[in-house]
Amino acid sequence: MNESTSDVDSRDRILLQRMAAGDRAALETLYRAYHGVLCRFLSRLTRRADLIEEIANDCFWIAWRKAGSFHGDSRVSTWIMGIAYRCGLKALRQRGDEPVDDYALHEGRGPSHDPDEDRELRDWLGEGLKHLSADQRIVVELVYGVGNSLEEVAAIMQAPVGTVKARLFHARIKLRNVLPILAGDPPAQRENRS
Amino acid sequence: MTIQTNTGKDCARAWEIMPWVLQTTAAPEQREWLMHHLAQCEACSGEFAQQSRLRCALSLPTDIPVDAERGLKRLLERLDAPEPYATPVRRWSSGNRLTRALAAAVVLQAIGIGALGVRLWSDQAPRYRTLSQPALLEPAGALRVVPATGMKLADWNKLLHELGLRVIDGPNGVGAYAVVPIEPASSSASALRRLRADRDIRLAEPVDNTP
Repeated sequence: MNESTSDVDSRDRILLQRMAAGDRAALETLYRAYHGVLCRFLSRLTRRADLIEEIANDCFWIAWRKAGSFHGDSRVSTWIMGIAYRCGLKALRQRGDEPVDDYALHEGRGPSHDPDEDRELRDWLGEGLKHLSADQRIVVELVYGVGNSLEEVAAIMQAPVGTVKARLFHARIKLRNVLPILAGDPPAQRENRS
Repeated sequence: MTIQTNTGKDCARAWEIMPWVLQTTAAPEQREWLMHHLAQCEACSGEFAQQSRLRCALSLPTDIPVDAERGLKRLLERLDAPEPYATPVRRWSSGNRLTRALAAAVVLQAIGIGALGVRLWSDQAPRYRTLSQPALLEPAGALRVVPATGMKLADWNKLLHELGLRVIDGPNGVGAYAVVPIEPASSSASALRRLRADRDIRLAEPVDNTP
């Protein structure tokens, strides 16, 4: 954990303590701090904006209620992402939905002010992610997007570290085979590592 | 990317540590080793460039517009709402589904037991009874017999066997048994005569004549 991560976690722990004491201003601060990363994380499960907002609010509603029971066994961010992941799966189950498996169906909703470079990168990513399962997308997002370790991803997904490692491995293999082609590189002879 | 046999181990090691070097959580010596390897391995260098691009892409804000302030406002309203609205468990969760299934099983069992009870209640009279239960209506040809107090059980059984009789009721309050011929077709008149002739029988009479 680098220094800034440590600082962020210290700040979050204080916010949780204040939330446990009923301080709504602390909740608002934590909400705004995590809203962006949480929505991006949840967008790997569903592409519906209304559902993302509902899941995020379910997550913070639980965080508000359970703030006093946070024992500090993990980083606050890991704790919150774990709640969000479970809320996301539950929300999708209750609607009879599955996490989006056809990523391409929901692409093309980017804001119009998106810089061209970002748009190109986003499209490239979207094309790659549509080849992954929902669990693989979540692992890739947590490792590359959020910056979690394998152990933290395992805690968030409540899965063994070995399972997380396997999901990351297979996701990387798929992306390695797909992304260069999308970027216009000639397909290379590839083989899987074991 | 082709993995050459002689550099396979290094490439595999490079593959393993790339995400953590990109995260800047890898140890400095791991990062240094990877940079050294990338300078020598074109395939891993290409892979690392792609991984870097992937990390950049995944770090972009989501392309789905979700208004944080609007969401926060709704959350605060939810905190102020009465409990039934506020609870996020508005629908059946997996745990609740299990509870629901168990409750349904219990209800089904209760219904089944109830139906069985009703059937047993309305069923015919039991096919057995104990001798201490109240007397039944004796069938035609039944005899009321009172053995002597000192009559041995073996003698009583022997007598009944010889006369082809069986006990269907008794003893009642005065020690009387109701007996009937084992074979319905056989007459109880001769059995009555022999019972009356036996010195260990104090009373023998047809039930039909009993006042």
